Amino acid sequence: MPILASLLTEPIGVAHYMVVGAVLFVCGVVCMATKRNALGILMGIELVLNGANVNLVALGSPYLRGESATLMLDGQLMAMFVIVLAAAEAAVALAIALNFYNNFGSIDVDRANQLKG
Amino acid sequence: MQSARHSTPMNPATTLPTILAIAWLLPLAAFALVWVGYSLPQMAGGRASYGAQRTAGWLATGAIGTSCVLAIVALIIWLTQTAPHEVATVHETAAAHQAASEHMASPPTSYSGIYYTLAQFGKLRISIGYYIDALTIAMFALVTLISTCVHIYSMGYMHEELEDMVDREIATPDGNYYHRPGRYHRFYQYLSLFSFSMLGLLLAGNLAMVFMFWELVGICSYFLIGFYFERPSASYAANKAFIVNRVGDFGMLIGLMALWSCLGTLDFGDSNTPGMFSQLRSEAHQYELDAAAMGSESADTNYLLLFVAGVGLFCGCVGKSAQFPLHTWLPDAMEGPTPVSALVHSATMVAAGVYLVGRCYPIFVPEALLVIAIVGAITLTLAATIAITAYDIKRVLAYSTISQLGYMMLALGLGGWAAGLFHLITHAFFKSLLFLCSGSVIHAVHTNDMRQMGGLRHKMPWTAYTMLIGCLAIIGAGIPALGIGLSGYFSKDAIIEQAWSFARVNESSGYQLLMWLPLGGAFITACYMFRLWFMTFTGMPANTERYDHAHESPRSMVGVLVLLAVFAVGVGWHVPGSKLSVTSLLERARPAGTLETTTGTWLPNLTVPDEHLSHEPQIAIPAGWSAFAMAMGGLLLAAIIYVWRWLRAEEIQQSFSPIHRLFVNAWWFDQLYDWMFVRPALWKSKFFAGIDRYVIDPFVNLLARGTAFLARALDLVVDRKAVDGSINGLARLTWDFGNSLHRLQTGNLRQYVVFIVVGLLGLFAAVSLCWKYALAG
Amino acid sequence: MNLDSPAVYLSLLTFLPAVAAVAIACFAPKDNAELIKKATLAVTVVTFVLSIGMLFGWPGIEFKAGQAEMQHLFSVDWIPTFRIDYLMGIDGISLPLVVLTTFITMLGMGASWPIDKHVKAYCVLLLLLETGMIGVFLALDFFLFYVFWEVMLLPMYFLIGIWGGPRREYAAIKFFLFTLFGSVLMLVAILMLYFSSDLRPLGADKLAELKVPAERIEQILDADTPQHTFNILALQQLGQSTEQFKTELWGWTYERWAFLLLFIGFIIKVPSVPLHTWLPDAHVEAPTPISMILAGVLLKMGGYGIIRICYPICPEAGYDLAWLVCSLGVVSMVYGAFAALAQNDFKRLVAYSSVSHMGYVVLGLGVWSAMSPTYNADYWKMGMNGAMFQMIAHGISSAGMFFMVGVLYERVHHRQIDQFGGIFARMPVYSGLAVGIFFAGLGLPGLCGFIGEFFVVLSTWKYCIPLAVVAAAVVILTAAYILWTLQRVYLGTTYLGPHEEALTPITPREMWIAAPLLALAILFGVYPRAILDYMEPSVSLTADRLASKTSDFDGEQQPEAKVAQALSPQVETTDIPKL
Repeated sequence: MPILASLLTEPIGVAHYMVVGAVLFVCGVVCMATKRNALGILMGIELVLNGANVNLVALGSPYLRGESATLMLDGQLMAMFVIVLAAAEAAVALAIALNFYNNFGSIDVDRANQLKG
Repeated sequence: MQSARHSTPMNPATTLPTILAIAWLLPLAAFALVWVGYSLPQMAGGRASYGAQRTAGWLATGAIGTSCVLAIVALIIWLTQTAPHEVATVHETAAAHQAASEHMASPPTSYSGIYYTLAQFGKLRISIGYYIDALTIAMFALVTLISTCVHIYSMGYMHEELEDMVDREIATPDGNYYHRPGRYHRFYQYLSLFSFSMLGLLLAGNLAMVFMFWELVGICSYFLIGFYFERPSASYAANKAFIVNRVGDFGMLIGLMALWSCLGTLDFGDSNTPGMFSQLRSEAHQYELDAAAMGSESADTNYLLLFVAGVGLFCGCVGKSAQFPLHTWLPDAMEGPTPVSALVHSATMVAAGVYLVGRCYPIFVPEALLVIAIVGAITLTLAATIAITAYDIKRVLAYSTISQLGYMMLALGLGGWAAGLFHLITHAFFKSLLFLCSGSVIHAVHTNDMRQMGGLRHKMPWTAYTMLIGCLAIIGAGIPALGIGLSGYFSKDAIIEQAWSFARVNESSGYQLLMWLPLGGAFITACYMFRLWFMTFTGMPANTERYDHAHESPRSMVGVLVLLAVFAVGVGWHVPGSKLSVTSLLERARPAGTLETTTGTWLPNLTVPDEHLSHEPQIAIPAGWSAFAMAMGGLLLAAIIYVWRWLRAEEIQQSFSPIHRLFVNAWWFDQLYDWMFVRPALWKSKFFAGIDRYVIDPFVNLLARGTAFLARALDLVVDRKAVDGSINGLARLTWDFGNSLHRLQTGNLRQYVVFIVVGLLGLFAAVSLCWKYALAG
Repeated sequence: MNLDSPAVYLSLLTFLPAVAAVAIACFAPKDNAELIKKATLAVTVVTFVLSIGMLFGWPGIEFKAGQAEMQHLFSVDWIPTFRIDYLMGIDGISLPLVVLTTFITMLGMGASWPIDKHVKAYCVLLLLLETGMIGVFLALDFFLFYVFWEVMLLPMYFLIGIWGGPRREYAAIKFFLFTLFGSVLMLVAILMLYFSSDLRPLGADKLAELKVPAERIEQILDADTPQHTFNILALQQLGQSTEQFKTELWGWTYERWAFLLLFIGFIIKVPSVPLHTWLPDAHVEAPTPISMILAGVLLKMGGYGIIRICYPICPEAGYDLAWLVCSLGVVSMVYGAFAALAQNDFKRLVAYSSVSHMGYVVLGLGVWSAMSPTYNADYWKMGMNGAMFQMIAHGISSAGMFFMVGVLYERVHHRQIDQFGGIFARMPVYSGLAVGIFFAGLGLPGLCGFIGEFFVVLSTWKYCIPLAVVAAAVVILTAAYILWTLQRVYLGTTYLGPHEEALTPITPREMWIAAPLLALAILFGVYPRAILDYMEPSVSLTADRLASKTSDFDGEQQPEAKVAQALSPQVETTDIPKL
C-alpha cells in the first residue's frame, strides 16, 4: 500500500483528514447498512455526516491548504450547515422513530417496509 | 357524270334516270303517305275506316301503276333511242359469231351517275346512284308490271282485311277464333315499301346501294311474311327468313369488303372514276378478266381475292334466292298472304339473287362460276324432290320456285348469262301466275291442303285453265320441231342447251352431272306441277263441303290471272315483225368480255363455254328434244298416278319409304340447322352471358370484397397493430419497466443504503474510468 | 353579356344547366314537383337551342361546316402556377356530340315526368350532369377535362343510387368504382404527359395558335427549364412532332404507357369487354331517363376520348397497339351480341346490345390501315368517320330503345321478355315506333344504325381480314337477338305477364319523345351527310395527320437519319406539320 505508507511518513495534511473522514463515513455507512435498530441507523447517519464534515473542514482550512487554495471559510460554513441539518434531521428522525415505535412497538427498521413499491 | 355515248334530241342519259327515279320513288311516297296519314288517327285512338283503307289500296296501286307506265315509257325510250349493243344480235351460226367476236370489244350501253353522295373519304365515295342498262330497264318493267298485277289482285284477295278480321288459324282460350281489326292499308303500305326497295335494288349504281336495298327488301319480306303476326308460325317464319338472309348477307359483306378494299369503289359504271367493271375488265385488256386490278403483289392472291369476292357476293344471292344451303326459309315464308308469295317470294325478291349474279357477272372468275353452277344444280334437284311429296299447294310452288331459281343459277354458272336471266323473266310471269292461281283456289276453299281439293275446274274454270297455262309454261311445253312453245319452253331450253354445251367441252364425269341434273329436274318439275294441277282441279272433290262453298274469284283477280297467263305464254316470243324479243333486249346488256369461252386458272380443265355456241344445231337439237322428252315423261307419270290411277301414290310411298321420308321432311335441313347452328348459338350466348354472370361479375365482386377485406386487414394490421400497437407498446413498456423497478423498492432501509453505496461506487468507478479525460481536460 | 364572343357562348352553353341547377336548388318550392320539372325541361330546351344555335347562329359563334380545325378556341387563366387554363373549343368531332348531349338530355327530361321521388334533387342532379357532359366535350385543357369528367360522375352515381331499381346501390357503386378506376389511370397518364411535356420546341407561332397569351409566350420561350402543359392541343402537337414522350420506362415508352392507361380509362366508359359488366347492372337499375342518357351520351365519352386524346397524343403507341384496339372492338361486338341473345331481361338485352354496338366504335377508331406500301389513309378515315357516326347513331337508337323499354316498364312493372307478347295488338302506334327504333339498332339500311356499322365493317378488311370477317358475322347475331326479342315482345296474340289492363296506348308525351328519335334515325340513315358534313373534315384531318406519321413508325427511317438524330438530341422545331 504505497499510498498509505506515504501518509504515515508525511506531516499531517489534508490527506490525513480525508482518510479520517473516509473512515468515519464508511463506519457510518456500514452502521446504517447493518443496524436494524433505528437509533443505530441514526447514529450511522451522524457518523456519515460527520465524516463529511471532517472533509469539508479539512478542505476548507487555510492552514492546511494555504490561503489561495481555499475560498475563505467555505468549508467551515458548509460544515455548519451540515451540523444544523444533522440536528434538524435528528429531530425529525427521532420523531419518526418515536411514532414508529408507538405504532409497532419496535424500532426494528426491517419491519418498516410499508413504503415498499 | 353520265357515260352516255349517244346524243339524241331527247337524251336518254338525262331522261332515263329521271323517269326511273320517279318510278322508283312513287311507291315510297305512297308508303310514307299511308304510314303517317293512317298512324295519326290511331294515335288518337281511332282507326282507319273502311273507305280510308280502300283509299290506301288505291293510292298504293295508283303509285305502282304509274311506276309501271313510267317503266314502260323508259323501255320504249331505250328501244328507240339507243343503238343495239354490238353483241346484241343473236347469231345464228358459229361462224357469224366468230366474226362478231372480233369486234366485240365494247361494253354494253349504260348510263350511270349519282343522285347524291352519302359519304366521301378521300377518294372513296359511297353514293346513291344509278346504273341503267337494258337489264335494268327490263327488270324495271317486269317488277312494276307484276307488282301492279299483284296490287290489283290483292284488292280482291285481301278484302277481308277491310273490316274486322277473324283469323281462323288462331283459337282463343275461350274456343272462338281470334278477332282483330283489319290491316288492309298496312298490307298496301308494306307492298309499296317493297316495290320501292325492289326498284331501288334494280336501279342501284353501286354494290353498296345494292346492299342497302337488299336489306330493305329483306325487311319488307319480313313484314309481309309476318303480316299475320298473331300467328306464331308467321312470326317465326318471318324471323327465319330475315336471319337466314342475314347469313347470306354476311358472305355478301365479305365480298363487298374485298372489292371495296381492293378496287376502292363499288360503282358498276364509270362516273368520274373507273367503276368495278372497267377496272376488272379494262379496254386495254380486251375486256378479259384481269385479276391484277385487285392490286396486291402476287397474282395468286389477286385471283384468290377475286374468287372470294365472287363467292362472297354469291353467298348473298344464295340467301336471297333461297339456294342450297340457305333454302330453308322460303317454304316457311309461305305463311305470308298469297299475293305476297307471288310478288316477293317467287317473281321478284327471290329472283334478286339471280339478278345480282347477272349484274355482277364480270366479277366472277370461272371457279366462282363453277361454285354457282354446283349450288344451282344441287338446289334444283333437292327442291324438286321435296316438291314432289308436299301437299301444301303453296309449299309445292315454293319448292318449285327454289328449284327454278336453281336452274337460273346453274345457267349463269355454266356461262349462260342470257339463258339464266331470260328464265328469270319468264319464270317471274308464270310463277306469279301460278301463285295467284293458287291464291284464288285458297281464297275459294280456305285451305292450302291439296288433299282437301279436287275437281275444282268445274267450279272455277278461269283459275283452272290459267293455272294450266302456268303449269305448261313452267315445264317448258313446246314443240321442238316447230320451235314454238310457251315462254318457259324457250328459257328452259336455253338453260339445258347451255348445260349440254358445257358438258360437251368438259369431259370429266363430275361436270357431266351438271347436264344430267337439270334434265332430271325437268322430269320432276313436270311431274310435281301436274300432280298439283291434277290433284287440285281434276278427279272427284275430296272434301265436298269445301267444294260446295268454292266459287270463282272476283273479276279483279281473274283479270289479273288472264293478263299474266298471256304473258306466261308470250313473253318468250319475238315481237311480230321484228327481231325484238326479251332475249335480244337482254343481249344488249351483256357485260363486255363475258361471252368468250374462258378457262379456269386453278382448274385448267374447267372451260366455261361461249353462250352462243349452245345455239348450234348439234347442241340445240338433242338438248331441246331431251328436255321435251323429260317434260313429257314427267307429265305422263303425273297423269298415270293422279288421273288414270294405274299406280297408287300410297304404294309408291311405301315401297320407297326411306326416300319418301327424306323428301317429306325436306331432307331434315331444318332439324340439321337447328342442331348445328341454332342450338350452338344459343349455347354460346348462354356461355357468354354466363361468363359475365359467373366469371367477370364474381371476379369484380371478389375484387371488391378483396378490397374491402384488404381495407379491414389494413385497419387491423397497420392501424390497430402497428400504429396503435406501438403507442400502446411504449406505454406498456414504460409500465412494465416501472413495474419491474418497483421490486427494488423493498422498503428496507438498510438495503437502500447498500444501493446508495453501490450506486455511488459505481458512479465513482464510471466517472473515474470513462470520464478520466474529460476531467483531466 | 356579349353573346358574339365564343368564350361567353360556350361557357354559357356549358354552365347554364349548372347555374339553373343552383337556382332551382335555392329558390324552387319543394312541394311543386310539376313546376320544377317544367323549369328543368325549359332549361334543357334552352341548352339544346343554344347548342344547335351554333349551326345556324349569328356571326362570331356560328360553326363553319367543312372547317377541320378547332373553332371558337379561347383560353382564360385558371391556375397559372401549373399553367392550367380554362381552355375550350369546338370542332367537327365535338359539335355533334354536344348537340347529341343536349338533345338526349332534353328528351331524357321529358321522359322523367313519371319520377315522383325527391323531384327537386333529381332535377338538380340531372342539370349538373348535363354541365359535366357538355364540359367534357368542350374542354381542351387536360385538367379541365378531368374535372368535368369527375363532375359528371357524381350526379350519375346519385341518380342511379337513389332513383334506381331494387339493386340500385350495388349498381351505382359498381358504376362509380369502374369509372373511377378508369379515371385514376387517366390521371396517372395525364401527370405522366404533363411532366414530360415541354412547350418550348413548339415556337411562338404555334403557341399563339393555341391561345397562349403573348407575354407568356416570351416567358415560355426564354425559360431554362421545361415548360409543362395541360393543353390537349399542345400535347397533340408534341406527341406528333417531337420525341418528348419517348422516354423509356420498364421497356416501354412513356407514350405507350400513357396510351394504355388512357385507353383503359376510356374503354371502361365505352364499355368494351372485359370491362363492361358495370353497364348491364347500371342500365337495369337506372330509371329510364338515366338509362337514356347513360347509353346515349356517357358511353360516347369513351370513344371521344380515344379519338381526341389517345390517338393524337400518343400516335406511335396507337399505331403499335392498333391490334389491341381492333381486337377489343371485335371481341366486344361478338361478345355483346351473344350475351344479348341470352338475356331475358329486356333492359339487360338492350344494354348488351350497346356493348355490341359500341364495339363497332372501338373497331372503327382502331383500323389504322394506312400501312406500307401506299400509306393510304382513306380507309382509316372511313373507319373513324364510321365510328363517330356510329356514336351518334347509337346515341339515338339506344336512347330510343331504352325509352321504349321504359314505356312498357312503366305500364306493367316488369321487364321479362318471355312474359310479354301481343303488345302490337294492344299498343299499335307505340309498337310501330318501337319496331322502327329497334330496326335502327339492328342496322337496317335507311336508318341511322346502318351507316356507321357498314362503314366500319367495310374499312376493316384493309386492316385485317380475319377481324373483318368476324365483324361482318355479327350482322347475323344482331338480327337474331333483335328479331327474336321483337317476336317475343310485340308479336303474337296473348300477353303473358301481369297487369294486362295497364297496357294503354302511348301518350302524347311519350310520342313526342319517341317520334323525334325515330325521325332522326330515318334522317341520318337516308342522308348521313347531315352529320358527316360537319364531322368528316375534322375526323379526316385527325386520321390524315396520324397516318402521315406511319412511315416513321414502321421503322422506314434511314439508318443515317437515326444516327444524326442521336447526335443532336435537341428536337428540331421545323418539321412540325402545319396545324
